[in-house]
Amino acid sequence: MGVKTILLAAAASACLLAACGPEPEKPAEPAPAPETAAAAPEPAAAGPTGPAAMPPATDLAAFMKARHDNYEMLGANMKVLQDNFRSETPDMAAAGAAAVNVKAFADAMGDWFPAGTGPDSGIESEAKANIWSDRAGFDAAHARMKDEAGKLAAVSDAAGFKAQFPATGLACKNCHDTFREEKP
Amino acid sequence: MDADRPTAETPGGAPAPSLQKVWDAPTRLTHWSLVILIALSWWSAENGQMAIHYWSGLTLVGLLAFRIYWGFAGPETARFARFIRGPRAVAGYVRGLFRQGHRAVFGHSPLGALSVIALLLAIGLQAGTGLFASDTSYVSSGPLSHLVDYDMSEAITELHEDFFNVLLGLIGLHLGAILFYLTVKRANLIGPMITGYRRAVDVEGPPHGLAPVSWLRLVIGTGLAAGLVWLLAS
Repeated sequence: MGVKTILLAAAASACLLAACGPEPEKPAEPAPAPETAAAAPEPAAAGPTGPAAMPPATDLAAFMKARHDNYEMLGANMKVLQDNFRSETPDMAAAGAAAVNVKAFADAMGDWFPAGTGPDSGIESEAKANIWSDRAGFDAAHARMKDEAGKLAAVSDAAGFKAQFPATGLACKNCHDTFREEKP
Repeated sequence: MDADRPTAETPGGAPAPSLQKVWDAPTRLTHWSLVILIALSWWSAENGQMAIHYWSGLTLVGLLAFRIYWGFAGPETARFARFIRGPRAVAGYVRGLFRQGHRAVFGHSPLGALSVIALLLAIGLQAGTGLFASDTSYVSSGPLSHLVDYDMSEAITELHEDFFNVLLGLIGLHLGAILFYLTVKRANLIGPMITGYRRAVDVEGPPHGLAPVSWLRLVIGTGLAAGLVWLLAS
């Protein structure tokens, strides 16, 4: 068994080395272009956009579909932010553009929940009825979102971005936990 | 049969001659760690304890990596090549199950092997999708979620949530089989998975049971698993 054991050890070590070897180097793009909310943000190529204009709420299905699509796009922006948050060398141009987008979503979404666009509409939605029955609570959650998104959009450096991103995500979560239906 | 009944069946104590070792300690420890960590992963996800969920999931990946390695480097009853059999062997085992003179297999039966493979694959898919998953608020996410784009991450997250029901189903089947052996076949499979031993008169295989393997293999396997988790987390 001795030889077999040694062979096995060698193979295992080779596996380990192979696993260590090709750790993909992230493309080093420091690009510390300071991006502020005031400066006109250059939309990153093929990056996610800001909110789309909502159709009139007279067409419930179209309105709620547009709202859902807007939250999907908001999610895509948050994904860009999270990927850069995790990166040791965040692309601050992309993150800055996404942060400005997130702020635009946060500012706009207060108008996305008129009466009748919840579960009582009969249309599948993750919006819970307590958005309307506890409007003050919902508005407070929205105010927190606007506040944290505003702070994130105002950040200009990687350190500030990394410090503010979790608080922004927690503002999303704060509202989701109370007012968004978990998938059954 | 009663004449051969062992007098000492103390768990952890020195085995009486009539006890046969069937499961080695690393295999048993891996098994029960999987049980505990799957339960912990479920509980932490249900209760929004995502920091716990992150680490219990990563630990599951490490345990799986070790179990796969152990399936090649471990002792006889842990080895895939030893217990994975073709459909004919499975059918033959099922037919023989209700015949007189049926004896418990040394290690996994051909049918039990299917359960082992299905469970390992399912846990692998469950933990593997978790590596790329992300929550709706982008507060918590798997360590590799940055490698996939938004749509892919969303699809994988949905699979991660839905597929858990498949894993639960397989676990149910596994428990059902154990209950079947306990009640119908009067064979306790749980005890040996805890102590490593069972009564020699009941089983096939070498009388003294499992031959140990070099501790070096255990060190290598543990290192591989820990290294993988470290790579994933960093």
